[in-house]
Amino acid sequence: MAQVFVASLVLMTMFGLIGAGAKLSNNLVAQKIASAYTVIFRGTPEILVILLLYFGSAIALTSLAQLFDPEVKFVDVPPFWAGTIAISLVVGSYATETFRGAFLGVSPGSIEAARALGMSPLQTFVYIRIPEMWRIALPAFGNHMLSLVKDTALISVIGLNETLFVAKQAIATTNQPFTMYIFVGLIYLAFSSVITLSVMGLERYGKRTTETAR
Amino acid sequence: MSFDVGLIIESLPMMLSGIGITLKLLVVSAVLGLLLAIVLLLMRISGKWYLNWPAQAYIYVFRGTPILVQIFIVYYGFPQFEFIRDSILWPILREPTGCAIVALSLNTGAYVSEILRGGVKGVSKGLLEAGSALGMSARQKFIYITTPIAVRLALPAYSNDVVSLLKSTALASTITIADMTGIARTIVAETYAPYEIFISMAMIYIAFTWVLQRTFGVIERYLGRYTKREA
Repeated sequence: MAQVFVASLVLMTMFGLIGAGAKLSNNLVAQKIASAYTVIFRGTPEILVILLLYFGSAIALTSLAQLFDPEVKFVDVPPFWAGTIAISLVVGSYATETFRGAFLGVSPGSIEAARALGMSPLQTFVYIRIPEMWRIALPAFGNHMLSLVKDTALISVIGLNETLFVAKQAIATTNQPFTMYIFVGLIYLAFSSVITLSVMGLERYGKRTTETAR
Repeated sequence: MSFDVGLIIESLPMMLSGIGITLKLLVVSAVLGLLLAIVLLLMRISGKWYLNWPAQAYIYVFRGTPILVQIFIVYYGFPQFEFIRDSILWPILREPTGCAIVALSLNTGAYVSEILRGGVKGVSKGLLEAGSALGMSARQKFIYITTPIAVRLALPAYSNDVVSLLKSTALASTITIADMTGIARTIVAETYAPYEIFISMAMIYIAFTWVLQRTFGVIERYLGRYTKREA
């Protein structure tokens, strides 16, 4: 679960940044692709995306492999990657909007001030935009992380050996579904509590210079 | 690898036959979840710790765990106990559809009550003071001032939650329910054509989402018809 979470967190952030970059760019094609991306992945159930990526990529890879070696019967993508990419794509589509909003939320005055101080566009981006952006994006980004944690449970559907899947196997031997699933729930609850607390801590850290002046 | 359009047209009637179950899951859970959310909201804003704390704990637990785990607890977990199998709820919990509705309502109730609370908190203090000045009782203020404004404020976030409820109904397919996703999985298992079936299924869900968002947009505009300023 932790592995899936870390891998999908990295990918989700990447998809979100690419999507936001495309939406904010002046390139019309990139804009269109990015808005298609957000519409498609925000409107499709996560489980459908997972199933499509897993079974779909298996078929694509198999036919590709058969081009080179007709003997090959079946190739599949590891459920870990199919599932991780699927949930990152879905949550990344939400993150796209978050990052875009954060970029637009940077106050024009700060940017003008940076220009007035003779900062280059790169300096403005690193010293002005990023510090303001992450503070704006953080609360929503925390929610995206929580969605990711909860979505990792869905990957058990394609047979990844994660918490929920292990619980199913344990139930097969102990015959105590309630106890096992409650335990799984507690593990998830602990995991999401850690994230909530870290985000709260980061938010307080982000506000340390702006709140004390009052 | 090929993309078989004929297969999509062939299996479209079968896929659409699941729309009824998806709709039923969506509507029943949305209504029950909303009722639960209102109860939770009233508990949270009651100002009494013995009502506030349980509601807060409930919301924390149901928002912190995956909906799939909640569905599994209701469907696989509850029958572990004798007393649940003997209780009057058993006719509901025996059926996978009943279990899915119970789990989805419990889950969405937790999320929606937070949305409603945001709406209630967004009502500006000045209006409530104006109400007091007019001699309104606390109950009158809640009914005539807080509720109409909070509903308007909460509606955009609520529409997002209904969309995610729609997406969560797809999880019912994991407990043998033949909703749209369940039927798609059966067809894929028979034909092994995941691209054709899953992509057309995704398009149906996107269309569904679009209709929901449009509907809520109309309601929002209707409720906000007095709040617009003449330009």
